[in-house]
Amino acid sequence: MHVSWLRVKAVARRHYYVLLRAPHRLFDVTIWPLVDVLLFGSIAAFVNPGHATAGRLAAGYLLSGILLWHVVYQSQIALATGFLEEAWTRNLLNLMVTPLREAEYVAGVVLFGMVKLFMGLAVVSLTALGFFAFNVTNLGVGLIPVAAVLLVAGWLIALFVIALVLRFGTGAEALAWGILFVVMPLSGVFYPIAALPWILRPIAEALPTTHAFIAGRALFDGRGLLWGELGIALLGCVVMGVVVLWFLTRMLWTFRARGYISRYT
Amino acid sequence: MDDVVRISGLAKRFGDVTAVDGIDLVVRAGERVALLGPNGAGKTTTLLMLLGVVGPDEGWIEVAGHRLPKGRSAAMAEVGFAAGYLPLPERLKVDEYLRFYGQLYGLPDPDVEAALDRFGVAHLARARGTDLSSGQRTLVGIVKAILHQPRLLVLDEPTASLDPDVALRVRSGLQALCRDEGTTLLVTSHNMVEVERMCDRVVFIASGRIVADGTPTAVAESFGGADLESVFLRLAAADAPERPHERSQETERPAG
Repeated sequence: MHVSWLRVKAVARRHYYVLLRAPHRLFDVTIWPLVDVLLFGSIAAFVNPGHATAGRLAAGYLLSGILLWHVVYQSQIALATGFLEEAWTRNLLNLMVTPLREAEYVAGVVLFGMVKLFMGLAVVSLTALGFFAFNVTNLGVGLIPVAAVLLVAGWLIALFVIALVLRFGTGAEALAWGILFVVMPLSGVFYPIAALPWILRPIAEALPTTHAFIAGRALFDGRGLLWGELGIALLGCVVMGVVVLWFLTRMLWTFRARGYISRYT
Repeated sequence: MDDVVRISGLAKRFGDVTAVDGIDLVVRAGERVALLGPNGAGKTTTLLMLLGVVGPDEGWIEVAGHRLPKGRSAAMAEVGFAAGYLPLPERLKVDEYLRFYGQLYGLPDPDVEAALDRFGVAHLARARGTDLSSGQRTLVGIVKAILHQPRLLVLDEPTASLDPDVALRVRSGLQALCRDEGTTLLVTSHNMVEVERMCDRVVFIASGRIVADGTPTAVAESFGGADLESVFLRLAAADAPERPHERSQETERPAG
């Protein structure tokens, strides 16, 4: 399949204009990361006020957790809300009657989503450093593959949400944010999944994000990169990717077969 | 003459409702065709299938030699589409919007100003979509549709919300486009006078079927009416539309 770089860039630029003209969208990449770091950093300071080592440890778990969580959050939100922007502005029909391919559209939104991701992560890193003396770079280069797996997981969650919106309409758009509230506790972002109620642990084990966060915590503990956990996370992403892409293709077919475009015209 | 559109045995049902019921249609290069019919006749569903947005239950469609849905991207590169009911994305200015769509059609740096000027709206280049009147939005939508000089221009109710002055400008612009560049036009409209002035062929659809196909004069005569409006009123009034004695210009059934 031929992919047009010009079309990918055009979609990315279109979403740059959206961010430029819709200041409330900046909340996702500035205010929420700031609030999250303040919230979790302050919790760590509160629960261990007199114990410097334990306090530092707790703050480290919470802050490294929220940093890595924002990789999932930013990549997911950028792609899901990018698509929803087309639904909200009734632009879907305009796009669907052009030569633009689905993969080109996703690539364009993802491309600009990377810019938003770096903005969000910069806010998290600088806030953590400024307010809680937590230096992200101390986690080392092992952070990069962990973040890469979480990035892919975020995109896959977004594609799942897009598939649901194609099938059920904008009524499913609450999932763009809501689904993360389910994934976050199950992934053990701030704690080992042994801390979860036993009935939820198998579900947590099955999520690729869980294993990426285990690898992330090991980096903070100075245990180095746990390649085994990262491999499981990667394998989980591959399986999730196959399932999500099948589901998305199926929902796109249903969208065309049932004429759901009429919901957006 | 090339066939720009070839449709055979096209059918679409939504639950118990049959929207399109076995349409065969060929549109040749340079033709200016109006797809007419009462509300719910199946015009827009037919157009949306032609544009690859809705999948047919039966039949097949070829646009500019590309079979849908497999050749959708290549086919749409040859098509421009505008509809009176489509808004402009509110966060884009007009020139940004046109440049964006131009690039989707493979034009790295489309001549936005010249395209806007063609319809006398070059002064709108830096306006935001939300600041435009519905007539201006329609004009900009049509400019978007012709930016890449498509072989086939598909317009769904293009002048529905326009005052007579702007509608005249649209009509003149489209006629000049078809004349100068040989663009094929496929348009739906409820404005019969406009259709008679702009199109050289009309295709009447009722209950999802083609019931008349020919020049405006020939179709009106085949229904025993003086003009297209009388044909329209007769079809709209009929519960079960009957076919006229015979088609004034037989639709060519595509091979295959």
